Amino acid sequence: MDTTRNFCIIAHIDHGKSTLADRLIQQCGGVEQREFRDQILDSMDIERERGITIKSNTVTLEYTARDGITYHLNLIDTPGHVDFSHEVRRSLMSCEGALLIVDAAQGVEAQTVANLYLALEYDLEIVPVINKIDLPAADVERAREEIDADLGLDPFEALPCSAKTGEGIDEVLEAIVQRLPAPSGDPALPPSALIFDAQYDAYRGVVLLVRVREGTLEKGQTILLMHSDKEYQIEELGLLKLKRVPTKQLASGEVGYVIAGIKAIQDIAIGDTITDAEKPVTEPLPGYQEAKPVVFSSIYPLSSDEYEDLGRALDKLALNDAALTYEKDSSAALGFGYRCGFLGLLHLEVVQERLKREYDLALLLSAPSVRYKVQLKTGERLQIESPSLYPDPGAIEFVEEPFIKAAVMIPERYIGAVMELCRERRGENTTFNYLSVGRVELTSEMPLAEVLFDFYDRLKTVTQGYGSFDYEIIDYRISDLVKVDILVNGEQVDALSQLVHRDKARARAMHYCERLEEHIPKQQFKIAIQGAIGGTIIARKTISAFRKDVTAKCYGGDISRKRKLLEKQKEGKKRMKMVGSVEIPQKAFVAVLKTEPGS
Amino acid sequence: MKEHSPGAVSTAPGLYLHLPFCSAICPYCDFSVLTGTAERKRFFVEILRREIELWASRISSDRDSWRSAFDTLYLGGGTPSALTSTDLGRILREVVEQLPTTPRPWIQFEANPEDVDARRCASWRELGIASVSLGVQSFDDDQLRFLGRRHDGATGESAVRQVLAAGFSAVSLDLIFGLPDQTPEAWRDELERAVRLRPHHISCYQLTIHDGTPFGFRQARGQLREMPEEAQGELFRLTHRFLADHGYTAYEVSNFALSEEFRSRHNQKYWHHVPYLGLGPSAHSFAGGRRWWNERKVPAWQRRILAGEFPVAEEEKLSPSQHLLERLFLGLRTPSGVDCGKLNEEFGVDLLAKNTGLIERWSAAGYVDVDGTVVRPTLDGLAISESLAASLEV
Repeated sequence: MDTTRNFCIIAHIDHGKSTLADRLIQQCGGVEQREFRDQILDSMDIERERGITIKSNTVTLEYTARDGITYHLNLIDTPGHVDFSHEVRRSLMSCEGALLIVDAAQGVEAQTVANLYLALEYDLEIVPVINKIDLPAADVERAREEIDADLGLDPFEALPCSAKTGEGIDEVLEAIVQRLPAPSGDPALPPSALIFDAQYDAYRGVVLLVRVREGTLEKGQTILLMHSDKEYQIEELGLLKLKRVPTKQLASGEVGYVIAGIKAIQDIAIGDTITDAEKPVTEPLPGYQEAKPVVFSSIYPLSSDEYEDLGRALDKLALNDAALTYEKDSSAALGFGYRCGFLGLLHLEVVQERLKREYDLALLLSAPSVRYKVQLKTGERLQIESPSLYPDPGAIEFVEEPFIKAAVMIPERYIGAVMELCRERRGENTTFNYLSVGRVELTSEMPLAEVLFDFYDRLKTVTQGYGSFDYEIIDYRISDLVKVDILVNGEQVDALSQLVHRDKARARAMHYCERLEEHIPKQQFKIAIQGAIGGTIIARKTISAFRKDVTAKCYGGDISRKRKLLEKQKEGKKRMKMVGSVEIPQKAFVAVLKTEPGS
Repeated sequence: MKEHSPGAVSTAPGLYLHLPFCSAICPYCDFSVLTGTAERKRFFVEILRREIELWASRISSDRDSWRSAFDTLYLGGGTPSALTSTDLGRILREVVEQLPTTPRPWIQFEANPEDVDARRCASWRELGIASVSLGVQSFDDDQLRFLGRRHDGATGESAVRQVLAAGFSAVSLDLIFGLPDQTPEAWRDELERAVRLRPHHISCYQLTIHDGTPFGFRQARGQLREMPEEAQGELFRLTHRFLADHGYTAYEVSNFALSEEFRSRHNQKYWHHVPYLGLGPSAHSFAGGRRWWNERKVPAWQRRILAGEFPVAEEEKLSPSQHLLERLFLGLRTPSGVDCGKLNEEFGVDLLAKNTGLIERWSAAGYVDVDGTVVRPTLDGLAISESLAASLEV
């Protein structure tokens, strides 16, 4: 146990966490050179593309230190995004120490501070690492000053390195061995192990990633998952060395995997405690917290015959994504689909991307919504996240909506533009402070709903791509909410209804009407597109009937071609959504519903 | 709009000959055309002669598809007038000798104004040509230049006069409208000049920009675009109203005649599902519920004939529903419309019952007149007849 070290790397986005992990793995020979690819722990394409970690991965490295002893270093990767903060917490709970990365050029950032506090909350030993010292703009001395001033850590303990070139990496490995504490625990006690993550293996079922706190887990042992109150038998356990390496047992202090014939991720809960079914511990380990979705959207297949495929794909995704919730849903305009809950916008986007890339599904997502708390006059309290379930306004006492604290990191010159953007988005208590010369962190309390609708796009636009954005949910506040319906020739298009703040209703309705006007082709009859709150029309656009479509020539050679065109048109009509007598092409829904969820 | 009785259309098959030669190629044209030397044209005529021979034996053995003799013969292209009368004579002689034709088939012929003179008119008449369609396109020199034509407005007018004077049974002129920036006034002037010449027949085509043509490329580069749909609609209505006022009755979307006898006997076969055989590169045929078409490019067409094969590029057998769809969109292109009762007898599909609500809405919007089981497009309906056909439940 003295030769085991459990640690994680915490960093602000872009400060080089994955690169440092890559370099540590490579230095310890954890992977053959030919197998090596950048960001080796980020296994999803989307993670590698966006340079973020969504699904954490864990690896055991063998490192022979200068004292001649070979240590097992368990690098527990943490997701780098606020949507996944539960996972971050559970990862931290499995460690004794953390490498805290500070970018040598950018210095300490808001998220660095937040991550440090989180790590300290779990009593982790911190080793500050100043990364990217190879950059021309690197300023190690300034970074040290900030580590002292902003983080309150000993600046002389910070290790300068370059994960890119490998410079200083040996010192980092030595520090892990020398400065991080070995795990404590007694292998003879009844076992308790924290499930900090899980993967799904098509052949083996659920693979639990665990940190054993006390006692020992062994092959063949019957285990109890304390929160879900289910028993399983351990089929295999072992260490994670990029590939799974089976061992006979996992003892207190060790990090590894457990396979126990569990069929689906839904059967288990991340954060649950494993103990021995026959001599269980009395109390589960802390760390269990249900992942609560905060963003909701209905997903419909573009082609209705892909509905079943979508269901199967969601089932499969959920095997590996315990936070994804979904239930059957249907819309008159868009047919059958699923109402899904997500941890945040990025989570929504990741799920959407995976459905597209891994399951080749063409999808339509309804406007993302948050969960509102509705107090009825009868005293009853409801939680509503779907416009279709919104009660009659006359029955409502008041409505509350979730507020976030948005943190936007920007170069100083964009303060004005971003403050204006926050104001537009009903931001309150907007403040800013200088992180370093020229760099500002702007915080604003604003409704979560306001960032669901192209906030990130607008931020990127007004900051010319320089702004980065993060948020956390802080509380629920009373809101003047209305349900806006979109009517086409008087018929409500259910998939386009949404709940918005009254001040935004007209603009949003107009936006929808305009997009529809643009994308619904002229038809045989005039089309009225209206936005309405209850019976009050607040926006209107009209599409006039088309006046001519007939082609001039139709002689011997034109007939086949013309007929094929009409056949195609008829086929296309089948795929059009009919609202009353109006055909609405998919692309109109896509154009209207296309927001760029991002983060 | 006067009612047109489809009963006037002969059910005998028509013969189409595609003569792809032009003196130059117009930038809007997407037909199979080429320019050629006299030598090349003679060679072409020889190959066409062989294709006629191939068909002569096929037709004599397939009397099911070809029950009666061809009673119309249409020389299109290209510009058939780009061929000498000698070449034209050889082709026509070959047709009459090899293929079953009625004793005096109605021969229609496309000519360019610049090819017209009194001598040639006389020789075309000698060949038995009954009807001449003149590719006038416009009387405005600027518009003609834009269209890449080789004649001017005055040449166009004089060609019409000469053809009329030559005593052909039916003289038609083609006009193109909807050129970029064309005003309704400018188009009305064109129509004025056309009707003043008093041809028997006028065809008016909205300019269509096809991909793969010089206009298509210019459109792709953003230098050219078709007139917006609303303005097209305006000119379309103007055309129909103006010509009706001047005695020209529309019998199809783009075709107008002073009286029924001047309607194109050949072209009406296309719209009434009468069989036709097309010879020459890219020519299409329809018979026995099948459609087929020849190789589009001259070398491929030529190669296959020289190898003793039919130069057919592709063929399709129409399913009953395809057949019905054709009847609908072709019928709705004519003011006589479609007789749903007859279609029900033929295809066992009761369109009126299946589309009650839709047809009522059409009627209320003024797109169609319903007379018993006959649905006739009005002028507004004619303008959107493709959409009408596409939206009918069959």
